[in-house]
Amino acid sequence: MVDGCLLLLSFVVPFLAVLVGLPPFLRFLTRKGKVSNDVHKSPPTKVPEPAGPLLFAAALTGEAVVAIGFGTWIPVAIMIGAGIAFVIGLFDDLYVLGGKAKPLLLLLAGIAFIAMVGFRPDLYQPVLTFPLLGDTAPHFIIYTALAVVAFPVVTNAFNMMDAFNGEISWFTLLTSIAMLLGVSLHAAFTSGFDIARVGATAPLVAVAGGFLIFNRYPSKAFDGDSGSLMFGAMFAGLSITGGVELAAMVAIVPAILNSFYTLSSVRGFVERRKMAARPTSIGSDGLLYASTEPGAPNTLIRLILLAGALNEKDLVKSLVYLTLVACIFSAAISILTWVP
Amino acid sequence: MRLAPLFGIEAAAFLLIVAETYLLFNFVIPIGTIPHSLTGYTGLALLKLGSIIALAALWFVVMIGLTRLYVRAKIRTAPRPSS
Repeated sequence: MVDGCLLLLSFVVPFLAVLVGLPPFLRFLTRKGKVSNDVHKSPPTKVPEPAGPLLFAAALTGEAVVAIGFGTWIPVAIMIGAGIAFVIGLFDDLYVLGGKAKPLLLLLAGIAFIAMVGFRPDLYQPVLTFPLLGDTAPHFIIYTALAVVAFPVVTNAFNMMDAFNGEISWFTLLTSIAMLLGVSLHAAFTSGFDIARVGATAPLVAVAGGFLIFNRYPSKAFDGDSGSLMFGAMFAGLSITGGVELAAMVAIVPAILNSFYTLSSVRGFVERRKMAARPTSIGSDGLLYASTEPGAPNTLIRLILLAGALNEKDLVKSLVYLTLVACIFSAAISILTWVP
Repeated sequence: MRLAPLFGIEAAAFLLIVAETYLLFNFVIPIGTIPHSLTGYTGLALLKLGSIIALAALWFVVMIGLTRLYVRAKIRTAPRPSS
């Protein structure tokens, strides 16, 4: 009963923090002139950015509920990793970091998260659990190395899914729900699994859900890199503490493909503002078109638009469908892994 | 229906990720016991590293191949903005 109330609180508190806190924060950003052009509108509109600081504060309230309520270090580890990613993102929002500097700095988030094993030795189990096949043997060194590398990979993947109205909030909401399902099944069918790990996942769902109200088409707020990198770092950390790495990796396949397409077609880490050719363009009819230039980066958006021009709302709908299919794969993995 | 080919690419990526991760953790990492000579240790480490690179390369090659097929099929009929 107490656990149920705490789980509910870990969702409700950050959700309300976004709903109540974001409108005045957006007014504050607008007063300070912190607005960005919504470049996919014709003519471009001005949208307050970055909402990341408020989203981080809201996630912090939810994780504080879990840390205090369940008396656990897990949310502290999650928020240290997410906090470092948030600070790097905020610096990028204000001063713009280089394409190579960002992933290198984001390794710090992974290192700090892993260092928390010193305080909580059971922060993660260095095994992967496969559907039907069960656990691998423990591989502490390789697992830990991969966990550190996961932070820049996942945070950048989330960052690259932040180009259109509602894209990042829909993506984070759906993938975090898929992860919450995996962690919940892990908790329900594994004896001795700490329920605080389920609670720690709820604030990510809540913040993404709350933010969607403001970020959906037409956007009233942009999260900035501070928000998208924080979302990615929380997702990476929670998948490790929840022991659902495989299901989490499968849920974010659209973002992995998007990063892979971009990196392989521009041949390395290039800051998106410095790309030579744009993957898409906006027509005089207001529709988005795939670039047919040979040098244009092959982003997931370009691949979708190659099948036909779309308005921004329908384009994001297509991305939501792709994410939904990945989340169904992820749910299948979770069910086959944890349900006996 | 317009997304059907992309769902296919997504499914291929998903299956390869699961299969390759399984191969990596169950077969590549546990290869051999730690040898008591530097050359043996280096050789084993290189073998594992090479296997990991090969698995990653397989994923890259399949994904690039599928994407090129898709782009080639669509780019000729892709709509262009009227200026």
